[in-house]
Amino acid sequence: MGFFFHIGRYFLMLKRVFARPEKHKIYIRQLFLEIDNLGVNSVWIVLIISIFIGGIMTIQFANAMENPLYPNGLVGLGTRDTLLLEFSSTILALIMAGKVGSNITSEIGTMRVTEQIDSLEIMGVNSASYLILPKIVAVVLIFPFLYILSVFFGLLGGLITGPLVNVISAPDYIEGIQWLFHPYYVFFSIIKCLFFGFLVSSVPAYFGYYVQGGALEVGKASTKAVVNTNILILFFDLILTRLLLT
Amino acid sequence: MITVKNLYKAFDGNPVLKNISTTFEPGKTNLIIGRSGSGKTVLLKSILGLFEIDKGEIWFDNRNLVLMGEKERKILRREIGMVFQGGALFDSVSVEGNVRFPLDMFTTMSNIEKQKRVEFCLDHVNIEKIAFKLSPSEISGGMQKRVAIARAIALNPKYLFCDEPNSGLDPETATVIDQLIQALTKEFQMTTIINTHDMNSVIEIGESVLFISKGEKEWEGTKHEILNSGCQKLDDFIFANKLYTQMKKGQ
Repeated sequence: MGFFFHIGRYFLMLKRVFARPEKHKIYIRQLFLEIDNLGVNSVWIVLIISIFIGGIMTIQFANAMENPLYPNGLVGLGTRDTLLLEFSSTILALIMAGKVGSNITSEIGTMRVTEQIDSLEIMGVNSASYLILPKIVAVVLIFPFLYILSVFFGLLGGLITGPLVNVISAPDYIEGIQWLFHPYYVFFSIIKCLFFGFLVSSVPAYFGYYVQGGALEVGKASTKAVVNTNILILFFDLILTRLLLT
Repeated sequence: MITVKNLYKAFDGNPVLKNISTTFEPGKTNLIIGRSGSGKTVLLKSILGLFEIDKGEIWFDNRNLVLMGEKERKILRREIGMVFQGGALFDSVSVEGNVRFPLDMFTTMSNIEKQKRVEFCLDHVNIEKIAFKLSPSEISGGMQKRVAIARAIALNPKYLFCDEPNSGLDPETATVIDQLIQALTKEFQMTTIINTHDMNSVIEIGESVLFISKGEKEWEGTKHEILNSGCQKLDDFIFANKLYTQMKKGQ
């Protein structure tokens, strides 16, 4: 019963979020602030994680393909396809659910428990739209860019690590990452990023918007938001993979 | 003027407000008093439309809030200023930004006009220019309340609501806030409703006082009548503080 209650309330919230904004100029200003806060501020963590994961995957692929019958370039190909198809979209979304999602829940939740949201409503501002719409648009817009950065730096991580630990030479790796490239994989992952961006912003916003109580409840809501967002990301990953890739 | 007629509100079948009728007049500080849990905040939020009432009427001059659609309520809310118990200032913007927010949102004023209005409002609540650029967390509780009042009057409201405006403040600052609200009410001829359980506020600015207990209206009058109200529940509430017992005895 509780599940259907949350689903219903989530969609009712979205209806308010996508209502006509009171003043477009203010929303656009908010959008740029959110792009900076939620997107640009996440670039460093994306770069660091992608470089390390790219390097680790290269070592693991090299170990798994030690058989002399396998061409060396397979290491590069495996790293590239893992980054393109799963890591830079899904795993990155899971990481971002932790960083951006908890940020959104705690920010909106704190505004709720300190009556700042009531204050907006009494002024006649559609608080759901004013607070949540710029965040959703910002995260949905920035996610594909973070994906591209993640793929690039993941590949770079492999290129640095492979020759450094002497599991593959740089020319073999570079040759491998160019083998059997399917541009559709990028398109598929960008579609996934748009979905995940929406989930990573709207689900935590829902948990923050309806929090009741004090600081303790805001903390609990943040945890719930991250857990539920992660489950939804994996669920939609399965559905989208089935629909778009097989 | 705000008129409440036969207001009834229950949560999960438990009545919180029972048949409350009263009138809040413009240019006066109208106080709602009562113990914690008596239904003051529910009454205030019902009048504001934040809670949907089960029965009754709420009139803002000649407009019945109960019959209004969402669009009409939004228009009405632009005539309302509200000071929350904790100030409810937006953390992400400066003191100046807080007062400017409703002007940005609902007016077509130029930047210069907005700046003048912001300065006018902040001057009225005695905030010094040096604090304009500070964030709410960098100013004291008393200043936060004053900034909240400045934000509430930014759009020149007809109705001002204050939920325990001096809670958590020292007696001197609390008196300053009370006097400030009263002065602004007179100056702008607003209909002001203040929710409080602070008897000092009642004695200071209680031009019209509504006492509620367990969701029912028990007494209505002025600060001059309150010590001799003849209402036992009100006496129990007031004279819990020995100071007022001594006041009544003329000591």
